Amino acid sequence: MNTLALILLILFSGAIVAFLSEKVSKFLPSLIAFISITAAGILFYTSPADVFNFKLSMAGLNFTLKIDEFSRLFVHMIIGLSWLASMYAVGYMQNKERQGTFFFNMLLSIGGMLGIVAARDLVSFFVFWEIMTWSSFLIVVWTGADFRRTGIWYMVFSAMGAYAMLMAIMMIYSDIHTFNIDEIIAAIAEQRLPHLVEASVLLLFGFSVKAALMPLHVWAPNAYTQAPAAYTAIFSGVLSKMGIFGMALVLLSMLKFANPADFSLVYINGFIGQILAWLGAITAAIATLYALIQTDAKKLLAYSSVAQLGYITIGIAIGTPLSVMASLFLAVLHALFKGTLFLAMGAVERQAGTTDMTKISGLIRRMPWTFFVTLVSIISLAGVPPLAGFVGKWMLYEALITNGNVFMVVVVFFSSTAAFLYSYRILFGIFLGQEEDDTAHVKEAPLSMILPMVVMALLLIALGTYPGLLFDPIAQGMTVLGFENVTWQMTVLSNVWGNTVNLMYISTTIGVAFVAALLFLTLKGRKGSRNVGTKDISTSGEIPLEHENLTYQLDFFKPFERAASPLYRRKMTKIYDDLSNGLDALFDFTRKIYTGNGQTYALYVVIFLVALLIYVQNTL
Amino acid sequence: MEGLAIKILGAVITTIVAFAVGMTYGGITRKLTARVQNRVGPTIFQNFIDLLKLQSKKTNIYHGVMGHFAPMWIITAAITVLMFIPVLHPGTAWYNSWFPNLSFHGDLIFLLYMMVFGSLGMALGAGQTGNPNSAIGVTRGLSQMVGFEIPFVLALVALMVQYQTTSIQDIMTVQRESGVWMMFSNPFSFLAALFASLGMFRYSPFDIVGAPAELASGPVSEFGGKYLGTMMSGGSIFAFIKLTLYVDLFLGGAYSIPELLIKTFALYMIPVFYGWVNPRYRTEQAIRYFWGWPTALGVIGLLIAIF
Repeated sequence: MNTLALILLILFSGAIVAFLSEKVSKFLPSLIAFISITAAGILFYTSPADVFNFKLSMAGLNFTLKIDEFSRLFVHMIIGLSWLASMYAVGYMQNKERQGTFFFNMLLSIGGMLGIVAARDLVSFFVFWEIMTWSSFLIVVWTGADFRRTGIWYMVFSAMGAYAMLMAIMMIYSDIHTFNIDEIIAAIAEQRLPHLVEASVLLLFGFSVKAALMPLHVWAPNAYTQAPAAYTAIFSGVLSKMGIFGMALVLLSMLKFANPADFSLVYINGFIGQILAWLGAITAAIATLYALIQTDAKKLLAYSSVAQLGYITIGIAIGTPLSVMASLFLAVLHALFKGTLFLAMGAVERQAGTTDMTKISGLIRRMPWTFFVTLVSIISLAGVPPLAGFVGKWMLYEALITNGNVFMVVVVFFSSTAAFLYSYRILFGIFLGQEEDDTAHVKEAPLSMILPMVVMALLLIALGTYPGLLFDPIAQGMTVLGFENVTWQMTVLSNVWGNTVNLMYISTTIGVAFVAALLFLTLKGRKGSRNVGTKDISTSGEIPLEHENLTYQLDFFKPFERAASPLYRRKMTKIYDDLSNGLDALFDFTRKIYTGNGQTYALYVVIFLVALLIYVQNTL
Repeated sequence: MEGLAIKILGAVITTIVAFAVGMTYGGITRKLTARVQNRVGPTIFQNFIDLLKLQSKKTNIYHGVMGHFAPMWIITAAITVLMFIPVLHPGTAWYNSWFPNLSFHGDLIFLLYMMVFGSLGMALGAGQTGNPNSAIGVTRGLSQMVGFEIPFVLALVALMVQYQTTSIQDIMTVQRESGVWMMFSNPFSFLAALFASLGMFRYSPFDIVGAPAELASGPVSEFGGKYLGTMMSGGSIFAFIKLTLYVDLFLGGAYSIPELLIKTFALYMIPVFYGWVNPRYRTEQAIRYFWGWPTALGVIGLLIAIF
């Protein structure tokens, strides 16, 4: 049997088995999910690369699935993160109700994502896209909390995106009578697709919804917050990247062949790319500003995900080799560090009962491993050397600067610097500050939850010095997208101006200096060291009492908020709310005309006849 | 092998010079400030005396692992950044014999990020002590950083775009070959960066992080002994780094140590002088300050650079 079909079959039948097995034991669905993903992963990594080819003709349609080098990069992300998250989910979902539904949808969406990246025709692409959307929707509303703001937003925006995509697919089909992506690309290259621009814009609209790009992002913060942490890691880590995958497909594979002569005003590809890049930059800046005023750690990370997706969009939209590489690098990294962060917050939620930073503090001694992985991922997120985040940030900046997008660099830099604020907020809010008696009972999460996070944290550390490990698959994928001679080095970054950064020197210098300082500070006066708790402090000469908690948690960045107040004034959700209220009013008005009452309609007929009579009379 | 030994020796010498210069500048400032305020003031070597006292304390307070790591992060960041900044013009006699370092393996973007490394460590250490003043100080510091980074980045991007390079050495070479300092060829960018430096040095009116008599020195308030001493050393090296970076970028770099000292001292006195005649801003005022004229100047500088 075909390997690719087998992998999908394992995931989809695993989903059904997981759903049914809940009747047998509450514990079973999580185990089945883990086993299915493990099996799919083993199958994928033990098979030779050329077997992932699958064709099926049904009802006059040809479904073509194929995993090329570009899809393979995304498959690594999907399988890797899903495997770790499902391992984590075994412990995380313990004792929760309705696990069958959760794991059913989780496996469905993973299968859906694999289908999307493998699809080589638009029909199967759309089918898998909808499987992914619906299963993720069912997980978002799984807890049932705050359905109106979470579920409906997500459903409405996903539906809008889906209709846009469907329209685009139909436009393309009516032009050239094929759904096959390779044939479509060939047709574009031969200038046989008159509706290329309209179709591309519609497709990009659909993908922007999934990538949570401004102004289509409003569903994302709530959806990421409401989904259980084990799934949010996948949701934010890879599911949102499907939007990026689609954008890459449209911008880099399809629009590249757009004929500039057809569009007299502007060279359309560059124009759409610029607009998309600016939307990405604005998304990054605004989402960062909203992230730093959140008090719930998960919501903070949700906004941060929206911001990070903004950076990734910029890279794809600019479309130079360095920017695309930066973007794909950041995409993988985002899966790693945001996956870790959501899992870590899930661990905090499970152990301490909440992720509200105003309620807990000082967990560093209680959950040291969770703190460690959070710290590593936060450093990566902030882009501070020597961890992997710096590599991605560096490439993005250099790509923008060398490409002349200087003002975009400043916007991106602003949002990255503001990201330090929420980075600190989350570390401080959960793990630092004074220890409270309420959290004295909190214990570290079980090993099955710690292990996946530690694996990802170690990857982030390794990629900080050896990003070449990741450049290799990215460069292969970019070759498929049509970039020739993508160059990369294992530990050296370079831009088109020939400036380089040698990560090996950086890591070595940091390592040597750090070890020297560590030895000095640890050994010096070790005997005279006095360990104190967080209450043994003096604040302006006063010593706080045992039951007093002085941790600073409320209005954490109030001064910054005040300084940036004009940027906080407009909220996209309010605009949409106003829009929906306006539509409500319009529909109410329509209802006054179409009352559904026969007598009213009879009156309309009479009025019409009278008007007709008067008109006829006048003209005669 | 011999080359490596010389490089390591050079690195050690660079560090010692940076440390000594930074500490002395701090001492001179204390003295000058005292004289301006009609006090006698400490000697200009007071900082060395303080450091000696701190490092010889017998008891040290251990606040937990992040509190332990924070000073290390600061000194690590300081030394690392120092290794990637050309203290003198590369290729000159002074440089080759005493200051060979790694500057051509890192560029400006790297430096921008590396300079945050220490602050992040400091912030985490301060957070773990549990002192509310520390956390308040940290949030103020981070907020202010978002303020002054904007004009600073505008200025740097202008230089990078205009001269098609992101390396400091190339920018120094441009100045050496043309004979014109960047502060004259790109005056708007220089002014933007200069205003940003006021925030970087955290003298009045931008001393909102330490905020004496308000936050009781903020983030460092719970640190003492060897920890505070190490932080002080790291901070001094950082002062030297920032000054050298500005000299390299805008003042044509330096060919010898005396030249470097004159240029850095002149630059250093700008935030100090500015501080003497200004009371402390509130945090939002400080941020707004940087987003006002300094940013406008930076934008003008950038527009000039690209057109």
